[in-house]
Amino acid sequence: MSTRVAAAPASDVHTGLLESARRRPVALAAIGLVLAAATLILGVAFGNVSVPIADTIAIIGHRLFNWPQAVTWPQSAETIVLELRLPRVLTAMAVGAALSLAGATYQGLLRNPLADPYVLGTASGAALGAAIGLLIPVQIELLGFGLVNVLAFGGALLAVAVVYRMSRLGSLSSLTAVLLTGYAVGSLLAAGLALTMYVAGNNLRQIFFYLLGSFAQASWPQLVVCLPLIAIGSVIMLSRARSLNALLLGEQTAAHLGLDVRRERLVLLGAATLVTAASVAVSGLIGFVGLVIPHLVRLVVGPNHRALLPLSLIFGASFLALADLIARIPGELPVGVITAIVGAPFFLYLLRRYHAGYDL
Amino acid sequence: MRGAALQVADLELDYGRRAVLQDINFAMAPGAGAALIGPNGAGKSSLLRCVTGLVKPLSGVVRIDGMPVAEIERSTLARTLAVVPGQTVVAFPMRVEELVALGRIPHEHHLLGPREEDRRAVEAAMDRVGIGELRGRDVRELSLGERQLAVLAMAVAQEARILLLDEPTVHLDLRHQVVVMELLKDLSRRDGVTVLAVLHDIALARQFFDRLLLLDHGRLIADGDPAMVLSAENIRDVYGVDPRLVLQVAS
Amino acid sequence: MTKRISAAFAAIILFSACQGAGGPTQTPAPVRTDAPLASPTGTPLPQTSATAVPTTPAAPPTVLATTAASPTSSSITVTGDDGTTVTLASAPQRVVSLTPATTELMFELGAGDRLVGRTDYDDYPPEASQVPPVATFQGVEMEKVVNIGPDLVLAGGNNFTSQADIDKMRQLGYPVLVLYAQDVAGVLADISLVGQAVGESDTAAHINDSIQGRIDEVSTAVASLSKPRTFYEIGDDPELYGPAPDSFVADEVTLAGGDPITTTDPAVFSIPLERLVSEDPEVIVLGDAAYGTCPSDVYGRAGWKKITAVEKQAVVPVDDTIVTRPGPRIGEGLAALALAIHPDAQITPPADVPVYCSATPSATP
Repeated sequence: MSTRVAAAPASDVHTGLLESARRRPVALAAIGLVLAAATLILGVAFGNVSVPIADTIAIIGHRLFNWPQAVTWPQSAETIVLELRLPRVLTAMAVGAALSLAGATYQGLLRNPLADPYVLGTASGAALGAAIGLLIPVQIELLGFGLVNVLAFGGALLAVAVVYRMSRLGSLSSLTAVLLTGYAVGSLLAAGLALTMYVAGNNLRQIFFYLLGSFAQASWPQLVVCLPLIAIGSVIMLSRARSLNALLLGEQTAAHLGLDVRRERLVLLGAATLVTAASVAVSGLIGFVGLVIPHLVRLVVGPNHRALLPLSLIFGASFLALADLIARIPGELPVGVITAIVGAPFFLYLLRRYHAGYDL
Repeated sequence: MRGAALQVADLELDYGRRAVLQDINFAMAPGAGAALIGPNGAGKSSLLRCVTGLVKPLSGVVRIDGMPVAEIERSTLARTLAVVPGQTVVAFPMRVEELVALGRIPHEHHLLGPREEDRRAVEAAMDRVGIGELRGRDVRELSLGERQLAVLAMAVAQEARILLLDEPTVHLDLRHQVVVMELLKDLSRRDGVTVLAVLHDIALARQFFDRLLLLDHGRLIADGDPAMVLSAENIRDVYGVDPRLVLQVAS
Repeated sequence: MTKRISAAFAAIILFSACQGAGGPTQTPAPVRTDAPLASPTGTPLPQTSATAVPTTPAAPPTVLATTAASPTSSSITVTGDDGTTVTLASAPQRVVSLTPATTELMFELGAGDRLVGRTDYDDYPPEASQVPPVATFQGVEMEKVVNIGPDLVLAGGNNFTSQADIDKMRQLGYPVLVLYAQDVAGVLADISLVGQAVGESDTAAHINDSIQGRIDEVSTAVASLSKPRTFYEIGDDPELYGPAPDSFVADEVTLAGGDPITTTDPAVFSIPLERLVSEDPEVIVLGDAAYGTCPSDVYGRAGWKKITAVEKQAVVPVDDTIVTRPGPRIGEGLAALALAIHPDAQITPPADVPVYCSATPSATP
């Protein structure tokens, strides 16, 4: 059959650096990993106390990799590098990776470009859990986790579980039902949070900082607990790129492409929620990463989740660790403020530059 | 019918108390083509959904290559049966070749992704449908007709032997309606694809299909060649309009 | 969801920002005092009840400085208001103070030269500005603390210093003495406690004697006077904030010869205007004068006209810093509060106090 479609002039978007990046997602991943390594070094080398970079490298080499090395640095430098900065940078990277990956998954799952890891009530659930945890006058500490972390984690999971259960019972078209239920449950939890804050007394400040998000409390024990959760969820999501691709044209089409839509939706939702809950439990609510990083990556490599998911993970990790570094150099700024200030204009620029409009 | 690619036997379906399909029986040989016609609410799309196995009938059975569709794994079924919806909404920026590549999902490796044969199939499907020039274009910037061709190319890339279409020409201009219909005819004749298309447009249906299935109030009223199915009596009874009106336009 | 939560906080942020900008020039830092009832964010947060305290409810502070039971004769053992015991091998030489009250106290104890870290909102005495800040209202800058390597950290209880920061410093091996005074007597006990901890018990006793002298002076002066219903206004934006029942400020108002008007619940700090009107204060003391609220503003407020204190023009600004900060100037604060409630009482006015809402900038001698 002959072609009857008018030939379109090739768009100029499809030449140049971005296009070659798009054709080589593996090279892009390699660049991302180099960036992540550089971010790790920068994050450990800088802070609001200056430790000479040679000392930083020597400390890490000596203590983590057993390099033979004469100890010429003060004990305080070692504590700062190993007990404060390293777990903090690694936690920021884990959370950045988790939120970006979860954001990409939620966007794909809900077919909504505005979706982020918090869209189904995780944020409100975690915030309410954390706020209640701050008000309970009992000190429980397990593996570096206090009541606040545990209740934030549980609150996030519970909120999404409720949204999932309730929206499945609805008779609306499934995605709309899920989003509306998420909104309704989130609003209810936000009201609960407001009430909790009203009676929070001096704890109000702590709740406030939890909502802004911070890695100031990062520690090895916390990282050791949250990292496996993030790793498990991430592996599940990464291994289901094909399912997310199938869902790109909707759940009907996904079913026609051979997908068990109900099962995949549950598995992906569960994995994305698990990593989000683990993240908010250690870092509080950090916005923007989970929304913007997947979009930035998508603008470069397109909608194919086989490239989108791993690249979101890699660049999300670097982005949040860098944002945290910027946040702590002048003192302790809320890292969520930095992610917004850095991310939003860049995102707007890319949207304008590439006319990447969305059918909503 | 022995060796039927698609067989529907004694199919009944209801949504709650309302009977939607009753006593549906028909079969299609490999490479055959048929258009499913009927007024709004006749049950055309419901019948199509039963054939895809996504809706479970109250009774009766749909067989694909002799196997009840309910017993076929969805991933296996997707390599045999492709579905083209009337309209496709794309939520994210997506290039034409990326859309077509989605048709390879039933074939590609679960973890490793598309292999060389998948990439070749995508190229071949785009050539087959004649949209090579659309490569690199964003699907959302295409005209509705071009977009529908891209979706058809996706179905072609799926390399399914049975193609179900739900009003594939709705909203298309005349030229693209003809392009799509000729492509379906061509797929059926040259590639041996079994094509079952729900069509609204009786004129298009009788022009491009040798066999029409007329559905009304959930029953198969007529099944056969266009002249027989589109009798004056059937048109008056089923559509409730003066048959001359329809038949004049159609011819 | 996050947007809604942020919106819920906009008011709080704006509130503290406005106060920061509108602070009087006399005060070195336009930040609220560090009494248990005010958070350093500038958000007025009257103290919560003991049930809302995440730590062990403060027991009467016990001082366990011993010679016999300690491992060495020079070691010091003290128990903080959170029930945690701190043992120091010798009198600490590198002290980090994480509340403005303890910073003042260190200087008052003559141990200001041993301070190696403070908060960036410590505003008194002026010499405190020479000490490097290691904490902001956001929290402790842990790297700076580690870099300094203190041998004693003085922290505020009831989450003035966040429990997470306290835990972290303890985990890093620094002795953290937590102080939280629930009433004026608690301030005296904490002064003794810090005196013990830094090996300046005698000086602490002298400070307490002089505070006690002021307390006695005030109670003698107001003993025979009536006890006017007094509302101590902690803040007025976005809501009206006042002391909770049994709170530090309520206790002070009582000591100063007033009958405190409080909120209904120890965990609630905002007070509805209806309640205030029905309680009908005879005196309104403006603790928020330091942040820009003046009697003229109060006289102009809608719905306040019929309140006795407004009718009688008995709305008085005070320096919130000395009244509510649980430090060595608490006696002066009490005197200032008593004079606000009873202008004619026989009490020596506190010296060196900024004057708010006055047309003339000079302070009264």
